[in-house]
Amino acid sequence: MTFLSTLALAVALLVVAPYVAHRLRRRKAEEQPFPPARLVQPAPPQSRRRSRLEDRALLATRAASVLLLALLGATPFVRCSRLSLQRSGGASVAMAIVVDDSMSMDATADGKTRFARARAGALELLGSAREGDAVAVVLAGAPARVALAATTDLGAARNALDGLTESDRATDLDGAVALARGLVSSLPQVDRRIVVLSDLADGHHDGPPLGEDGSVPVWIALPELRGPAADCALMRADRSGGRVRVGVACGPGVTAAGREVVVEDADGKALGRAAAPSGSTGETTVLLPSEDAAASRARLLGTDAVAGDDVAPVLPEMSRGAIGVVADAADETVATGGAPIVEQALSALKLDVDVRPIPAFPDRTEDLAGDLGVILDDPPGLTPEQRHALGGFLEGGGVVLLALGPHAAAAPLGASLEPLLARGVTWGETKSAGGDPVSAVGPLAEPAHSLVDLGASRRATLAPEDASALESLVKWTDGAPLVARRAMGRGEVWVVTLPFSVDDSDLALRPAFLAVLDAWVHAARERAAPKRSDVGTTWRFPGAHAVEARGPRGPIAVTRDEGVVRVVPPLVGVYRLSVDGKAETRVAAPVLRELDFRPRPAAPTTAGEGMGERRAAVDVSGQVALALLALVAAEIALRAWSRRKVEAV
Amino acid sequence: MSAPLPIRRAIDWGELAPLKLRARQVAEGVYAGMHRSNKRGAGVEFGGYREYVPGDDLRWLDRRSLLRHDRLVVRQFETETDRALCLLVDASASMGFRSKGAPGAKLAFAAVIAAALARVALASGDPVSLTFLGGGARTAHVPRSAGRDQFERIVAVLEAVEPGGDARVDHVVLDRALQALARATRRGAIVVFLSDLVDLPDDAAERVAAIAATGRVVSIVQTLDPAEVAFPFEGTVRLRALEGGAVVETDAETTRDRYLAALASLTGTWEKAAVRRGGRFSRAISTDDLVSVVRAIVESVR
Repeated sequence: MTFLSTLALAVALLVVAPYVAHRLRRRKAEEQPFPPARLVQPAPPQSRRRSRLEDRALLATRAASVLLLALLGATPFVRCSRLSLQRSGGASVAMAIVVDDSMSMDATADGKTRFARARAGALELLGSAREGDAVAVVLAGAPARVALAATTDLGAARNALDGLTESDRATDLDGAVALARGLVSSLPQVDRRIVVLSDLADGHHDGPPLGEDGSVPVWIALPELRGPAADCALMRADRSGGRVRVGVACGPGVTAAGREVVVEDADGKALGRAAAPSGSTGETTVLLPSEDAAASRARLLGTDAVAGDDVAPVLPEMSRGAIGVVADAADETVATGGAPIVEQALSALKLDVDVRPIPAFPDRTEDLAGDLGVILDDPPGLTPEQRHALGGFLEGGGVVLLALGPHAAAAPLGASLEPLLARGVTWGETKSAGGDPVSAVGPLAEPAHSLVDLGASRRATLAPEDASALESLVKWTDGAPLVARRAMGRGEVWVVTLPFSVDDSDLALRPAFLAVLDAWVHAARERAAPKRSDVGTTWRFPGAHAVEARGPRGPIAVTRDEGVVRVVPPLVGVYRLSVDGKAETRVAAPVLRELDFRPRPAAPTTAGEGMGERRAAVDVSGQVALALLALVAAEIALRAWSRRKVEAV
Repeated sequence: MSAPLPIRRAIDWGELAPLKLRARQVAEGVYAGMHRSNKRGAGVEFGGYREYVPGDDLRWLDRRSLLRHDRLVVRQFETETDRALCLLVDASASMGFRSKGAPGAKLAFAAVIAAALARVALASGDPVSLTFLGGGARTAHVPRSAGRDQFERIVAVLEAVEPGGDARVDHVVLDRALQALARATRRGAIVVFLSDLVDLPDDAAERVAAIAATGRVVSIVQTLDPAEVAFPFEGTVRLRALEGGAVVETDAETTRDRYLAALASLTGTWEKAAVRRGGRFSRAISTDDLVSVVRAIVESVR
């Protein structure tokens, strides 16, 4: 504190002056004329009269006025702790503020979450911005996204920051910094910077230092956000009969030993409990009193850094999903000596799916429940019941892989391949030896080289109407589709114009065949998203028209990208979805790496030298002067009130 | 040294102005001719007999009664009685006081009463005179006279009067007023004294009441301000008398009862003195209805 500051504050000692003046003034009441005064007997004023309310209020008002005067004198020397920008030469600044809204930012310190402190810091920075400064806001919760594009409208920036809410996403600092750099690098301001307000806990504590490269300098502010923290989370709670298997995970060096896992019903009543696993990750089983018990959620008792991930909804145990295969087992067995070659290929790919051989395509859609997709290897047409069931399966998001061969071309009367193909196919000679690698796109672009010579003398040929409706992934050298696909309902159908039988071609023996199966299974999985996924993972709904989603805190935004409806769950918990009127329940689970609170290293240049400071002088003289004026007005009002009271007498 | 008086030199008429109009309104509200009076001079009405007492004028000895009944009686006539109205208005400094809730100063209130009484008397043909106790430099005495012009003169003098003088300290003020009153009134005259009575010398009550002993009817009307009756102060107050220079600092709550008792005692002293000499005493607060006050005075002196 400087001498001037001390001197100014010493004026505050004059607060006793009003008291003394008050005492002196109070001893002599105001004189009033009264003709019969000689009939009035003099009496000493009573002590209680000395402290009348109005007198005390006047005294307090004057004392406060003196204090404020002293404060006004010392104002230039009053500082408070807050973030502020530094400028070089007073030029305007382009600033991208990266606010981390990942789950690790929900850790509390001093009763306030890291996210709240980061947002407050962003507002403090914005408070030191001036007209002409450009501000952008980027969120670092995965996937990184722009909350506000660069703007000089500081009011809009303030509104954007006020509207930020925490999420349970993973952290994507690199993506956020890259986004921020792109937002400010093209701005006309010479002085550009990126301010990162994050705990840097992105699960890569041994990763490269953040902000060490790039054309725009990075300032990682608020180092107190990077304090140590310990957290455990419930990753899943799957019910099977009278048991609930609860997965528990903790950050590095942290265990849930000594804590308990409780399964509750919707009203919070405990149905069963078990000790949490002692390791960093593990699973515990909670026994329910009966198989009919309505278990709603599992809860990890005890406290840790993030409370929101200590609860997980209980879901029926999910299977891995199955692929139905309809193939002529008799013929295939002759060639392979075992299961059909497509089944063997699926097993060899280790795609973590169950392969379910089906003798014939079922007549009811319900029989395909649990199947991600169905492979039809050279089917001899489909009956009307089968076609109806297949249509329902596709509408519900099912994926079909149809291999066309001689049986498909020789479908009996009344059987057809609708709705997969509108017209019949022909099976005939081919002059083309194989696929054209140049025509290959998507997942088959690279392995298509193995399709150059397939050794096929015959192939299936699609009707022109069907060929034009399909999107070719690989074409024959003569331009006819070899592998093609098309969306149908919410599902998808892939068509291969060769059967998988090794008798007809070498297709099943080529690496590209495995690539086709892998890409098809991947598409099937995308169409039938699992009930539980990591928070922040995009849920896609191809072919869906009307999707509504309600999360733990109410409805969430539904977006559409390239014609596909997408929903991103921002918080851990249960989501109720309505997809074209069909209700679904999905769960967003915590991301394991968000339990790791170890901060990622920061480059030495990110200390903010020359870009900002933590302590800043704040000129509050205006507010103090206003308060002083208010006090003066209050004193005038008090005096007027007192005078009116006397005059009324 | 006492501070200069905050009272204005002119009368604070307040809601009581204009005097002439107010006095007429009040007088009209009072039953004209309520008091008994006859025309002066001969042709008078016989007033009855009474026993002769030594000193009676022998002209009125009834000789017939002496001859027939051997008794000494004298005849009485109304024409003997002088029913002139003498108004004595206190115009000392204290009468200039007016509190917040009063319609006007005490002197203004007394002036309206005096003018209304004069109007009533003059309407009955009685002569009226006006004398002041204290008052400023422009204070004048109105000699006894009757007729319409007399009312105009009385009103003009009342409008011009200014409160002033300290009867508490300067005893000459009271002496001068009583001497002027003695000169202006005869036996049987009605003397109405309008004053707050609070700042007069201690012997003033006896001296004023003594006027009644000389065959005059004295009516003392104590005119007070509502604040003087209620003592509405709160907390510590510093009160200054308008006459005598007394300054008192006191606690209002603890002193109120004692003040009211002292005021009642003062009033009692004046009332006893008046009643003992056959006079009348009444109190009027400046918020009272003027018609009622004037009517009460008129009825008290019938």
